[in-house]
Formats: sequence, structure tokens, C-alpha cells
Amino acid sequence: MSLAWRLLKTAVISLWAFRSYAALMMIGLIIGIASLTVIHQIGQGAQQVVSSRMASMGFGADAFYISSGGGRLGVRRGMKRAITLTPQDAASISQVDGVAHVVPHKNVARTQVTAGGNNTNTRVRGATPGWAAARNWPLLQGRFVSLTDIRQSARVAVLGTTVVRELFGDVDPVGRRLRIGRTPFIVVGVLKSKGSSGWRDRDDIILVPLSTATKRLSRDDKLSGMRVTMTDASRVEEVKTEVTNVLRENHSLLPGVPDDFLIITPDELMKLITRQSRSLVAMLTFVSAVSLFVSGVVIMNIMLVAVSERAYEIGVRRAVGARRRDILYQILMESLIVAAAGGVCGLLVGLLLSYLATWLLAIPTAFSPTGFLWALGFSAGVGLLFGVAPAKKAAGLHPVEALR
Amino acid sequence: MIKLKGITKTYYRGKVETPVLLGIDLHVREGEFLAIMGPSGSGKSTLLHILGLLDRPTGGSYRLDGIEVSSLSDDELARLRNDKLGFVFQAFHLLPKSTALDNVLLPFTYAGHFPEDANARARRALGRVGLEHRLHHRPGEMSGGECQRVAIARALVNDPEVIFADEPTGNLDQRSSLEIISILQGLHAEGRTIVLVTHDTAVGCMCRRLLRVVYGKVVSDEPVAEPTVALQQLQTLKEAAK
Repeated sequence: MSLAWRLLKTAVISLWAFRSYAALMMIGLIIGIASLTVIHQIGQGAQQVVSSRMASMGFGADAFYISSGGGRLGVRRGMKRAITLTPQDAASISQVDGVAHVVPHKNVARTQVTAGGNNTNTRVRGATPGWAAARNWPLLQGRFVSLTDIRQSARVAVLGTTVVRELFGDVDPVGRRLRIGRTPFIVVGVLKSKGSSGWRDRDDIILVPLSTATKRLSRDDKLSGMRVTMTDASRVEEVKTEVTNVLRENHSLLPGVPDDFLIITPDELMKLITRQSRSLVAMLTFVSAVSLFVSGVVIMNIMLVAVSERAYEIGVRRAVGARRRDILYQILMESLIVAAAGGVCGLLVGLLLSYLATWLLAIPTAFSPTGFLWALGFSAGVGLLFGVAPAKKAAGLHPVEALR
Repeated sequence: MIKLKGITKTYYRGKVETPVLLGIDLHVREGEFLAIMGPSGSGKSTLLHILGLLDRPTGGSYRLDGIEVSSLSDDELARLRNDKLGFVFQAFHLLPKSTALDNVLLPFTYAGHFPEDANARARRALGRVGLEHRLHHRPGEMSGGECQRVAIARALVNDPEVIFADEPTGNLDQRSSLEIISILQGLHAEGRTIVLVTHDTAVGCMCRRLLRVVYGKVVSDEPVAEPTVALQQLQTLKEAAK
């Protein structure tokens, strides 16, 4: 039985003797660490969802996205959100060296859609034949928008599974009629389900030929955005610069006037998402840091009371040869053990809560090793920091006074 | 072994000075069995605390084994207490949640290194006070006399040069008191040095030398002519009980 083992045993025995105090000390810490854990689990989960969503959107390294309206990524663009891109822009960009494909689309405002006696309200989007491939979005049945459809501005529609369910139920929709607003369309295909991405049902969509959207469903031929695919992933920055120049020229923007469009590269998007979730995590971490601080103060006060109650034990230890620093280390060791135990309990509670959150509330969570380390580090730090005052008090007791 | 010269102790509470010891001269040789007696407030406990290095004198000189202890740091005093001194207190002062064995092992925890044979030594010390059957009992599960015997074992385990006992029988009934004193007499017979504080004359008469302290001064210091043998008293008591 080594000395370290005996010291540990001493601390555990003392803590067990004062277990009601120890439990009190741990409560605040458990709550703080549990919330810290949940926060990190949710943050991690959101990040994973975003990454997998970006992958499912086909937002590969060799593509970028141009959106109408200027401003900066991640900042609400408000009034600047004008629809500024034109079919002419798409044509110019496809001529830029290094560009493989340009896949433009146009969002029509959410529209009332009817078929037979059923109706629903859904997103309607004008697309080109390349759209489905660019997004890795396969068909479930029927066909996609074709070049002929585009040329003829045909009134054909490809439906997401949610729309199919709302309008047709179990009936095979291909070949059936529906009305988008007042315009009649024929269903030619159904998209495979992509599932909801947490905040939006991606299957709640109708695709029509781009030319149909611009000519028949809205009053202008402007584009909402386009996906630009590069021949080579390493040329993204170069192509981005050239596309910017082309668009500024097309839109006759004078030098100094800000862009009225926005180019989003997957790189920037990923950075933005991590930055956003990071600032969220930082804020929530701050909140739990405050709660941990409070629980630290609680620990300190309870320890101070416990030290007064244990004065005679400390006196005995001093009498048999404990130095001041032996007492100091003992009390520090105790608060460290309490805090670490509280941290581990809090971590387990946090893991349990985040599994419950996923299971009951469908909030995506994922195990975060950094969160795990934060939790342990934090609680140990709290224990050490707030153990100092009680430990000093205990070590400062005069043996004779303590024995009284 | 112990040499006190002009030891004074004054307590300060705010601006009020309370002189407790007014100049004590004392010489304790190896193998002595000394009782310090005096009425409450005479300073006998304070004297024992100073002798036991639990407190520092305000003035005077204290040499323990030739070392002037007033020049030592707190840590050095702690080391000396651990190495050379053993304590027995009136209220036993055992750790309530630890077993008898763990209580006796306590001094080793602070000995700098934990000896290999610590457990054997602790068992031997408990055997010496007749508690080999109580190793794993906690203080709450033992009688007062047994608790005090554990405390004696704890004082013995480091093989100290002096054992200090502060009213060791103060909380005990007559029979347990006699048991404790007879253990102390046995230890003295083995050549150990014992300094004991008591206000009980009967206990004082079981030691070999009696020092009377009144108001911080030594008023008498004489050998006990015929010390009572505690073991005999114990037997008398047992016979009377029958």
C-alpha cells in the first residue's frame, strides 16, 4: 500500500464521512457539466447534419453557387435580396474558361397547387435537365425535365414525395394533371425522397422547366441562382474571379459599387457554418461557465463549513506529524475528487439527456470528444480553484486550537 | 532529553494579555514517568502542548534531545512530532470513520515514506494494548477504554521517544482508567518516557515523579515514593465486583 494510495484512501474516507456535503457540492457541478455536455452534443450534431446535407446537395469541392442579390455570406441581405441574375449571365458564365456546367434555377414564390379535390402549398422551382445530377437527386419514377421541355416551355412537373402524398395519396401521379396557381400541368416524374434536413422538408417541392417558370409562372426571366461546376477543383478561386468580372460587366457595375450577386464556395459555406456553430457553442459555454462558477462558490462555502466541523480531525493529523501542506493537499485532493466525480456524473447525465433529446425531440446530437474534455477539465479546474480557500483555512488552523 | 529553561507563554486576545506560563524550568530524563498536576487554568495543558511541540512558547528555551526547538520551522516541528513524539488525548481524538488499524496507521501517512512493515507494526501496537481482536472496528463500535487504547497504540506505533498524555483518563470510568494507566506503567517499565497531565491525584500517584503547577509556576517537583500499581488496583476492583 503506497503513500499515494493511502492519501487517496484518506480523501475518499473523509468524503464518504461527509457524503451529504459531497452530494450537495456535486449538484451544481452536475447541472453545469450536464448542460455543457448537451450543448456540445447538439453543436456537434448540427455540424454533422450540415456536412451531410452539403454532401447530399452535391456541394462538392469542384462547384460553387451564385446567388442573386449582394451582401455577405451569413449576413441577412434584406433589401439587397433583389433578383439580379439573368439567363444572359448564365450563358456568359458557361463561356468562362474552366467552367464545365452552369445549372441555373428560378424560385417561384410558394404557390397553391391543386389536383383533383386536393390542394397544398409548396415551393415551385424552375430547373434545367442538369439540376438533378448536380444535386445527386435521383428520380423515383417517370422522367426529369428535358431539353425539349425547356425549348417548348412545357407545362410538365416533377414532384417531391411530400407533394405526391398531399395531392395524390397512394395513387401513381405520373401522367396526372395538377394546377400550379391557375396554370395546368402534367406530372412527368417523382423525385426520390431526401428526407427532412432538420428544419426544412426537402421533399416539399415541385420542379418545372426553367423556361416555364420564367415565362408562365412569373413576370420576369430573372434567375434566383445557379450552380457552376468546374472542370477542375483546383481552379475554383481562379474561375470565381473571372465569373465575378463577367457578372460585373454584364450588370454594368461601376468600380466601387458592391456586387449585386453572391458567389458561395463550399469552402466559405463550411467556414461560415463552423463559425456560426462555434459562436453559438461559445455563448452557451459561457453560460455554463457561469453556472460552473456558481457551483464552485457553493463548493467553496460547503468545504469551508466542513473544514470548521472537521477542525479536530485536522488537529489530530497535525499532532501526529502532518505538515500544513499535507493538510492543504488533503483538502485540495478532496475537492478535486468531488469535482471530478461531479464532472463525470454531469457528463453521464448530459449524455443521457442528449440521447433523450435525439430520441424524443429528434434534435440531432453527436458525441463530442472536445466537449468531453472540456467537461472534465472544467470540473477539475473548478474543484482545484475553489478548493484553495478551504484548504488554506484548514492548513492555517493552529493544532492546539483545532484540537479544542 | 527534555530541558526547559524559563519557558513563558502569554496569550494575546486583542489588547488583552493573558500570561499562562510564568517561567517554567524542567528537566525530563529518558525513561521518566512524569505527571503534571494542577488545578484548572494552571497552565498544565499549555505546558504539555509546548512540550509536545503543538504550540510555541512566548519566551525561554526548550531543548529536545539537544535541539533548540524554538529555531525550528513548522514543518520541522511536524517532522519531530511524527518521529519522536506520541500523543494521547482526553477525548481520544480518533478519526471516527476509520478503523482502529487505519487510525494506528495514521502517523505513517505523514512519515515521508510509508514503511513496508507498517501494517505489521500497527497490528503489533494494537496487540500491545490488547486490541488484536478489534483491528477493523471503528471508534463508534468500541468502548471509551478501547478507544483510548487505540489512541495509545497510535502514539506507540512510530516508536516515539516520549509519549504525551493529556488527561488520558478524564473521560473514562474507574476500571477503564486503571486499564489505561496500567498500560502506561507497562510502557514505562519497558523504558519509555511518559509525560502525563492530570488533575486526578490517584492518577498522579501512579507515576514516578509529580510536578505541581499553580498559576503558571512550578510549586513542587518530587518523586513519588511508592507509586500505586494500577494492575493491582484493577485486580482489587475485579475481586470487589465479584
